[in-house]
Amino acid sequence: MVLNGVRNAAIATARNGGSKEMGRTMAVSLRESVQLVSDPRNLDATVEEVFQMMLGVACERSSTPIAKEPESVTAVVGFGGLLSGACVFRSGSTTAIRIAQLMTGMEFDDVDDTVKDAIGEIGNMLAGAWKGKVPDLAANCGLSVPAVITGRDYNLHVQAPEFQLHHAYRFEESGFEVTIVCDGLQ
Amino acid sequence: MNEVRTLIVDDSSVMRKIVERALRQAGLDTMVVHEAGSGVEGLDLLRAKQVDLILSDINMPSMDGLEFLRQLRAQNLAPGVPVVMITTESSEEHVKQAILAGAQGYIRKPFTAEQVKERVLPLLNAA
Repeated sequence: MVLNGVRNAAIATARNGGSKEMGRTMAVSLRESVQLVSDPRNLDATVEEVFQMMLGVACERSSTPIAKEPESVTAVVGFGGLLSGACVFRSGSTTAIRIAQLMTGMEFDDVDDTVKDAIGEIGNMLAGAWKGKVPDLAANCGLSVPAVITGRDYNLHVQAPEFQLHHAYRFEESGFEVTIVCDGLQ
Repeated sequence: MNEVRTLIVDDSSVMRKIVERALRQAGLDTMVVHEAGSGVEGLDLLRAKQVDLILSDINMPSMDGLEFLRQLRAQNLAPGVPVVMITTESSEEHVKQAILAGAQGYIRKPFTAEQVKERVLPLLNAA
């Protein structure tokens, strides 16, 4: 339900991009460049860039899934336009707090509104930088504002996606996951 | 450089702090910062205060950064004050829309303090 909400917001954003842009959308198709759009290296490069530039830390892909924590924090940013779907960032609360500390220089005891705001911005930058790797995607795909979800024992499920990238990453001693879900490509 | 009165418009309080820190690292350490959490709030603030520099996000709920910029120009608020858009949207089309709406600069998120310095300081020196 959350995924549908942010995706609809992204579609509205894409529609508000102006008639000139939407006119161009009609002539452009991502179908032919699906290999480029779904290239997993774009996601790795995006994550490394965002963490290096905004947090000042080196971040690399991990072959092992992130360690389970009782509480997790998820940011969802919807895509709308030529590609519909979402970028989903997910980490445990300890990692979310560490990310917020690095972004703001502040100390946090728990996942408060500022930590949620920071994780939402991380999701926003990951989504924007990822779509920016493919020029036709950058020009013809809108982003929703981020939705941040906190809680325990929840799973993200998307029915029959067009494609899905799901990677785990590590920085310092912390881990997180980023998922790109595409459920429609024109 | 003299004290620079700056307005930062972004729905994320974290991003407003990051932009402020980047500006201070860029050399604007005597800056006075006003913050707005939306385009509407930014317009209200500009009716009451004078600023020398405006930095605005684009993707915001209720009034996005481009509409904020259009309203700013239409209402003749902060005439001659340079506006720099800071956003995750990076396509040529988005840059063109921002320039047409009256922005003088464009910074893509994620960004470094060095990039902020390169885009902002020339605008202040020219103003």
